[in-house]
Amino acid sequence: MTLAIILVVAAALALVFILSVTLSRSLQVSTGTSLATQIQPIDVEAFRNLFDPVEHDYLRRRLPAAEFRLVRRERLRAMAAYVRTAGRNAAVLVLMGQSALAAGDVQTAEAARQLVDNALLLRRNAAFALLRIYVALAWPNFDLAAEPILRGYERLNRSAMLLGRLQNPAAPVRISATL
Amino acid sequence: MLQAHSFLWHYLWTAPNVLLFALALLIWRNGLRKTFPAFFAFALLSSLGQFALYTADVAPSVSAESFWRVDWGTLLIEGSLKFVLIGEVFAQIFGLYPSVARLGRLLIGAVGIALVLTSAVAAAYAPQDSHFGIISGAHLLDQTIYLIESGLLVFIFLFAAYFRLKPTHFVFGITLGLAISACVHLATWGIAANGGLPASRRVFLAFLNMATYHVCVLIWFYYLLVPAKVSTKAAVPLPENDLDIWNRELKRLAQQRMVQP
Repeated sequence: MTLAIILVVAAALALVFILSVTLSRSLQVSTGTSLATQIQPIDVEAFRNLFDPVEHDYLRRRLPAAEFRLVRRERLRAMAAYVRTAGRNAAVLVLMGQSALAAGDVQTAEAARQLVDNALLLRRNAAFALLRIYVALAWPNFDLAAEPILRGYERLNRSAMLLGRLQNPAAPVRISATL
Repeated sequence: MLQAHSFLWHYLWTAPNVLLFALALLIWRNGLRKTFPAFFAFALLSSLGQFALYTADVAPSVSAESFWRVDWGTLLIEGSLKFVLIGEVFAQIFGLYPSVARLGRLLIGAVGIALVLTSAVAAAYAPQDSHFGIISGAHLLDQTIYLIESGLLVFIFLFAAYFRLKPTHFVFGITLGLAISACVHLATWGIAANGGLPASRRVFLAFLNMATYHVCVLIWFYYLLVPAKVSTKAAVPLPENDLDIWNRELKRLAQQRMVQP
């Protein structure tokens, strides 16, 4: 009987989740204009400083060990905020790319598919990077590799640029710059 | 009204399967058979299997044991087809994007293994709900199939939702119908296989299953026949920034590794 209750509760929760996804899908506003406004700009300089080994060494030399660990944790938290924003921006680009997938011409559709693929890669890398940052917060000696997420940005930039050109050749193509 | 062999009972058993057979013919006629081969096979074979089971139930010449043998056969065929169909749905949603397809295959494999183990444990701990092994075995097989099926479908929904991937109209319809059917059947077979209701009242579970399946077949019809809403195709005003500076910074960052304290 206990097993029956567990299975019924699990099935009910699964059904509620599936129906809520269906409802949110049907309510989702699919116009590109509202999606584009959801992209949050990232301060490139500040983001770069967080990864800067020179600055890191400087802080380690100048600060007492305990204070350095505090600063290190603050920097990791800031890094996490940037990566979360990057992941959210990637999700917005996935939606924008998918709405462009239905475009009539083959070139635009292929550019949109490429953009979605790159945005998905970035979102995946952002999730892994976040996981590593959280591990580093708990265990500061953990090695963090930032290349995958940064390479993802680069690829995403190229894809967004191409799609932007194909959709609107007259306008400046700067969609990925706000990531 | 809510009794076995009542008019409603006959209707709820036959109507969804007549509709599902018609859906298979529509898929054939619309040329979608090659795009959705697993769904086509599922619609065709599942409806035919249910017709055979219905005939075995109502024909006086068929013994109870033979009925349960037919039930076992249709369960095994339908179960296998559903897992092939889940594979097809997964490929339709994620196959276009290599960046997540590989990770998705890896994760769905792991989830599948975990679900098989969970369902085996659930089956092992379930009390025998009938004096006849062939009947309680069929109930446990139902519970096992729907536990794995609903788990895999929830994973697909979760994975797609995390990545904000929107399946195409018909693929979404197939997944939604399958998922609703799997969740409701999991609950009802969970109750039936674990002695949650006395045998005399289990007919209510059968009615709930049949009614849910009817709704799911109608969902598949809706998503096949009603075209998707077309979103606006106007050029999107893109946010302005300096792409060159951003690209230069990223190139620089990509060559660095985060340092250790």
